[in-house]
Amino acid sequence: MLIVDQLIVRRDRLSFQYHQQIQEGEIVAIQGVSGIGKSTLLEAIAGFAQITSGDIRWLGKSFVDLIPEQRPVSMLFQDNNLFEHLSIKQNLRFIDTEVAWSEVEKHALTLGVGEQLTKQPNALSGGQRQRVALLRTLLRPEPLILLDEPFSELDPATRATAASWSRQMAQQRNKTLMAVTHHNEDVEQLADRVIRLE
Amino acid sequence: MRTTFPSSNQQFRLAKCVFRQVLTLLFFGLTSLGTQAQTLAVYTYDSFVSEWGPGPKLQELFAKRCACEVNFIAAEDGVSILNRLKIEGETTKADVIVGLDNGLMVEAENAGLFQPHTVDTSSLLSKLNWQSNTFVPFDYGYFAFVYNAERVADPADSLQSLLSSNKTLIYQDPRTSTPGQGLLMWMKAVYGKDAGKAWQAMANNTVTVTKGWWEAYSMFLEGAADYVLSYSTSPAYHLVVENKSQFRAAHFNHGHVMQIEIAGISKFSKQQALANKFLQFLISQEAQEVIPVTNWMLPVVDNVALPDAFNRLINPKTIGFTPEQIAEQRKTWIREWRQSATK
Amino acid sequence: MPNSVKPGSENGGKARPNKFMRLGQVLGWCSLAFMSGTTLLAFFGLLNFSGQGFDFGFLQDPYLWQIIEFTFIQAIFSAGLSLLFAWPVALALLHKRDSWHKRIFLSFCILCFVMPTLIVITGLVALLGHQGLVGRWMWEGWNLYGLTGILIAHVYLNFPFAVRCIYLQLQAIPASRWKLARQLKLSRWQRFRYLEWPSAQLVSWLATGFILVLCFNSFAVVLALGGGPQATTLEVAIYQALKYDFNIPEALILAWLQLILAGSLYLLVTTLGQLQWLGNLSQERKPLPSSGKFERLLYNLFYGIAWCVMVAPLIALLPKIFSQPLTENFWQAIVTPTMTSLVLAALATTIALGLAYLVLQPYRIARRLGTTTYIWIDGLASHALVIPAMVLSVGIFVFFIRKIDLDIYGMVFVCIINALVSVPFALSQLKGPLLNYDQSYRHLLSTLKLSRWQRFTVEWQFMKPAIRSATAFVAVLTLGDVAIYSIFGHQDFVTLPWLIYSYASTYRMTEAAMAAILLLIICSTVVAFLEYQRRPRSKKVC
Repeated sequence: MLIVDQLIVRRDRLSFQYHQQIQEGEIVAIQGVSGIGKSTLLEAIAGFAQITSGDIRWLGKSFVDLIPEQRPVSMLFQDNNLFEHLSIKQNLRFIDTEVAWSEVEKHALTLGVGEQLTKQPNALSGGQRQRVALLRTLLRPEPLILLDEPFSELDPATRATAASWSRQMAQQRNKTLMAVTHHNEDVEQLADRVIRLE
Repeated sequence: MRTTFPSSNQQFRLAKCVFRQVLTLLFFGLTSLGTQAQTLAVYTYDSFVSEWGPGPKLQELFAKRCACEVNFIAAEDGVSILNRLKIEGETTKADVIVGLDNGLMVEAENAGLFQPHTVDTSSLLSKLNWQSNTFVPFDYGYFAFVYNAERVADPADSLQSLLSSNKTLIYQDPRTSTPGQGLLMWMKAVYGKDAGKAWQAMANNTVTVTKGWWEAYSMFLEGAADYVLSYSTSPAYHLVVENKSQFRAAHFNHGHVMQIEIAGISKFSKQQALANKFLQFLISQEAQEVIPVTNWMLPVVDNVALPDAFNRLINPKTIGFTPEQIAEQRKTWIREWRQSATK
Repeated sequence: MPNSVKPGSENGGKARPNKFMRLGQVLGWCSLAFMSGTTLLAFFGLLNFSGQGFDFGFLQDPYLWQIIEFTFIQAIFSAGLSLLFAWPVALALLHKRDSWHKRIFLSFCILCFVMPTLIVITGLVALLGHQGLVGRWMWEGWNLYGLTGILIAHVYLNFPFAVRCIYLQLQAIPASRWKLARQLKLSRWQRFRYLEWPSAQLVSWLATGFILVLCFNSFAVVLALGGGPQATTLEVAIYQALKYDFNIPEALILAWLQLILAGSLYLLVTTLGQLQWLGNLSQERKPLPSSGKFERLLYNLFYGIAWCVMVAPLIALLPKIFSQPLTENFWQAIVTPTMTSLVLAALATTIALGLAYLVLQPYRIARRLGTTTYIWIDGLASHALVIPAMVLSVGIFVFFIRKIDLDIYGMVFVCIINALVSVPFALSQLKGPLLNYDQSYRHLLSTLKLSRWQRFTVEWQFMKPAIRSATAFVAVLTLGDVAIYSIFGHQDFVTLPWLIYSYASTYRMTEAAMAAILLLIICSTVVAFLEYQRRPRSKKVC
């Protein structure tokens, strides 16, 4: 279980307060009006925010004091998810050695980016880049997956594919997943539960 | 202030050999500093030992006489040699120092880094009026303004006529160069108290003041000015090497300032006999024939067989100051120049 | 479980930097210590040798204040003009399509900046002197020598550097912003005000600071083109004090003065700029607003003029080769010095780049944590910029002469000191890209949990172009060194620039000119080889 316990996060003089519990293997969508601190919550869990007080525990162990590298978290950011100077293939190599390359290719085909692997990121459209990044984030070994607006640049059809693929992967690989999204269709296709920040 | 310097310690010398091997490999093997026979370490300036300078020839000639080896160690110029001697003090490797001049003589003597020589100087030209028993002169020349006869039809015959003409000139900074210091003395010797005004007048003719001799001289050859401050012997180079006769030194009636290049023996040298022998060799006919056509200065003894070009050089009167006066006044003169020579 | 928060730290105040960073940081501080230590050693050597301490009386000499005034004036004008000319050219470059000549131009900018001053001065005189190719057509009363000459030479040497810095930054403006600008139908002025200036303002200030300090310390140019004692910089005074008068107390006072004045100038100017967004790194085709006919004409004009200005002094050198036949053994004589120079440059460059990269480790961490430590790291690492090479070398020489046989180790010192004085140049090339990299990717790097080796390779691939540029800078700089060689060099290991001086100081002007042109060719080749901007496949050029 992931417990966000009375967490107070400071960001640019604003202060955000969180208290949430998420079951292991659960898939939650996080919703709320702009500026309410959805991304900040993900960043706090991933280790990129300034925490004033409170605790975050995963399977009973606190990781609030750990640096991002030591946290059981794989995160998809809103931007800068790919190294622009490396090819897509090289970028995807950062998944993990345990995942066979053929499997990566298979999933890339499912997501409709199978043709793009040898290209440089700047040759891809925003939507394609987003799917490549999504692919990498979900295939990584960490049990906690955080997605910050993962489908924002996708058209409705691709969006549906990507959402159901994500759900399938999360269940198959026993991930606990939190995704920030504004779309109710995403919520339906992806999530078990919605957390509404207020 | 460049280097080469002895290690009395035998072990260290071995290490030095090994290291030198490595360095030699690194820098494409070109050194060989064998140190078996008697070796005389001579500090001198860089162009003296360049392959077209007098160094290599003299080295060869002297080796024949003494069954010894001359090891030249080159610094950038005369001033650098003296500075290096001061820094090294009693640890210096130098036996003989070649390439200071009359401007540096007193300072060098006062630093207490030299020992008296036993060289017979009776053959020296009488006009040098040589008194010092610490140093031996090995060549000399006059500072002079060199011009291109194709551009200047009637050259100036005095500093006054030069300054009142509308011709342009380039000279060297007295703070950073020997000819520049020479001009400083020249102006002072000719104008005395009025030197300040003369500098002001000269500023109107001056194209630029350069750091060193060659910057000025190459600009002059490019045609940047009508006159350049150089040596009375400069035309000899153009005559002998390039067979060009248009470059000439202007002969000034009031006389020219002389630069005398000198050599001496380090106080800390343990090879007095060999060192004295080398100094004696420097003023021998044999060496004196080499120096003018490689260092482009005049011989300090009579009856030296030289190319005809040397007979066509000007032979001016000498004016100037004693080394003592120079040492004492130099700073004041420079200050005067600094204040006056501005446009 | 309440935690106290360290300001600025990102993970709850208990930041535990990973081992990779810690090692880098330790090594970084070590190299900083090495660099500053060498300088201290030099000062210590001089102080210890003279045994007199400082001569403060000298501070009352009005001459000194004249020098300082002139030094400031010419430096400020030189830097200001360089920047003023650089902006239009950089804007022109931004709006020109990629082409082979544009890529050569960018490499050429490096060459100009680090070209041995000896070549620049000769070229400018051949071009603009009274009898020069252009000089003879100038108006009556035209005189290259004086403040004019100094400014021309300084601008020639430095404005290409500014062009390059600014252009590379402008080029990094992401497409989205250009789209937005077009969408909002921003006027030319608004585009400059809200897009171009903010993106390159930091780099403009950094470049200005750099140029300012270089001109402040200018020596050869000032002496050659200054035209008389009215043009004297502190560096000239230091040279005189140390070399001609061997007056160490006076030289020390001057050196400290230079260190303090030039140093504070540098810090002042370089901290004026604020680190704003450094731009996204993708190399997509930028939808630059199409420029009007007049605007395009202007761009072509600026670009053309810049080309002419940069090439002219070098072209003016060419006739010199044919003026006289060379001595027979010239080509033989020149081989060894050339090789020596190349080996020396290769070694010094490696050391300089290593030091610079290590110093950047604590620097980037300070930047990330948002502390002001970075200013001090930057200042310390760049201090070699304001130390006269003469003081550094003589100090070290004096310190070691009685301890080490400099006959043997002299060349090692030539190598190390050359490396030390060129570290700031390497830093100027590496700093921006590295910060850019950190700013864009530090979260991604953390979340991917890369191994040390993976981190290294990703960073290496990103930094490769910048490293190549830095290498070109440092290599050419060390290829041209004479100041340090004149102290530690050994006549058995003559370098090419030294050979030029040797030729020139014995009337062999043709050989000197030929050797100078050879040096220029070598420098160009080095820059072209390392730095020529390959056609951007879909790859980054920066």
